[in-house]
Amino acid sequence: MAIPFDQILIQTVNGLVNGMILALVASGLTLIFGIMDIVNFAHGELVMLGGFTGATALAVTGSFWLALVAAVLTIALLGALLQATALRPLVGRDPLTTILATFGISLVLQKYALWQWGPSARKLQEPITGQFNLFYLEYPWYRVLTALLAAGIIGALYLFLRYGKYGIWIRAATQDRIMAQAMGIPVPLVHAVVFGIGASMAAASGVLFGPLGGVTQTMGADFTLRAFIVVVVGGMGNLGGSILASILISLIEAYASLVVSPAQAVIASFVVLILTQLFRPTGLFVPTPK
Amino acid sequence: MLALENVHTYYGKSHILHGVSIEVGPGEVVGLLGRNGVGKSTTLKTIMGLVRPSGGSVRFEGRDIAGMAPHRPAHLGIAYVPEERRIFRLLSVLENLRTGLDRPGVSESRKNELLENAYEHFPVLRDRRNQAGGTLSGGEQQMLAIARAMMLDPKIILLDEPTEGLMPRMVSQIREIIHVLHRGGVAILLVEQNVPLTLEVSSRVYIMEKGVVRHHGPTADLRANQAVIHQYLGV
Repeated sequence: MAIPFDQILIQTVNGLVNGMILALVASGLTLIFGIMDIVNFAHGELVMLGGFTGATALAVTGSFWLALVAAVLTIALLGALLQATALRPLVGRDPLTTILATFGISLVLQKYALWQWGPSARKLQEPITGQFNLFYLEYPWYRVLTALLAAGIIGALYLFLRYGKYGIWIRAATQDRIMAQAMGIPVPLVHAVVFGIGASMAAASGVLFGPLGGVTQTMGADFTLRAFIVVVVGGMGNLGGSILASILISLIEAYASLVVSPAQAVIASFVVLILTQLFRPTGLFVPTPK
Repeated sequence: MLALENVHTYYGKSHILHGVSIEVGPGEVVGLLGRNGVGKSTTLKTIMGLVRPSGGSVRFEGRDIAGMAPHRPAHLGIAYVPEERRIFRLLSVLENLRTGLDRPGVSESRKNELLENAYEHFPVLRDRRNQAGGTLSGGEQQMLAIARAMMLDPKIILLDEPTEGLMPRMVSQIREIIHVLHRGGVAILLVEQNVPLTLEVSSRVYIMEKGVVRHHGPTADLRANQAVIHQYLGV
């Protein structure tokens, strides 16, 4: 059967938008893994908490952008505190302990959200409501804005890591924790800050996603799962790879949903995951080790 | 300035250092010799706080530094050039150097001075400053490791087998830089297998065996006492 060209184009835009939000979640996850070897199973819950914090702040201030900033700052602080209290003692231990610890944290955060905000979904009001014509669709500008903002945040992170003094600290500590310490870099502090940065990016995704899909107390698991697929496909700890993989997976899902139902389209990303593990277990976008 | 007293260090259950006592005065070059696996590297790691001693004391300028957070010794003026060099492979040469420069309290002009000084002694690092550290040759990585330590403006540098695996031309460059550091008033604790080099540059030498210091004295005495060298170092 032939798929009309306009549908393919629409799905390309959809895939790119979803891919950028996912990339925002995944780059925090991969940054944290890269520097601490911590597989953060609570990452999706940070997205969720970001969404709820944003919803609350939006209700109080009436400004979406203020709410975004408030959520990002609050969750950054929470992330840094979580790292310093719950995860710092586990750095350098068996990865299983950190998986259990972060899984425990995810449960606590989820139940906290249930207690604090209740079981019903919150939908944030988008800051801009305009639409433009994309073939037969009225496509909301907000979705495009979301992708651009996500790209902007990731770009800022890249510049910070590449050129900033603390960016060099983060990269040095990622490559060799011991030597970084011997050079006087306060690695425990760097770890807490990186966790805070990753958490704040997750929170930003939660707020940006709020007007699109709503915020629920159980939304975290889905984000964690998808971000994991992306991080593994892109290469664990590889920032650029995670971003490319986010876009790739989201595009594949978007195209697949032209043929099958969206719920079934998720299967496509698992297929990519399994194929990557079979043929290129170090990740699709990592140079072949020499 | 640096004084280890009766230091005991374990790796898990294996007892590596059995009461090591070593002293290095300000500006002094001290050699630490011994065969493989006698605890020389562990001694340096213990000073850096990378492994925690279970007993004894490590004092630097009168302050007990054993058990300090591992990033503190660098701030006190102790720099470390590990045996494996441990260049940040994905960082450029300049970024490798900057890990030691971007400390609180270092002015921009002082940073430039330290960089220029390192480039002057290791011109190859200036040529390759934008190249990833991992792409350097072994000898160049050793120079980068030493230059990186110099960025800390240290009072003492702990050098762990800097000439290991280097070709003779590089070894003489290392010898040269040790002299330069010494003239600049930097103390050096030099761990080596290269006995002639150590005897040439050090004023005093410690010889370790099985986790303890077996012999200690001025280099001149040791030079005259080939029996000791033969007994502990097998050369």
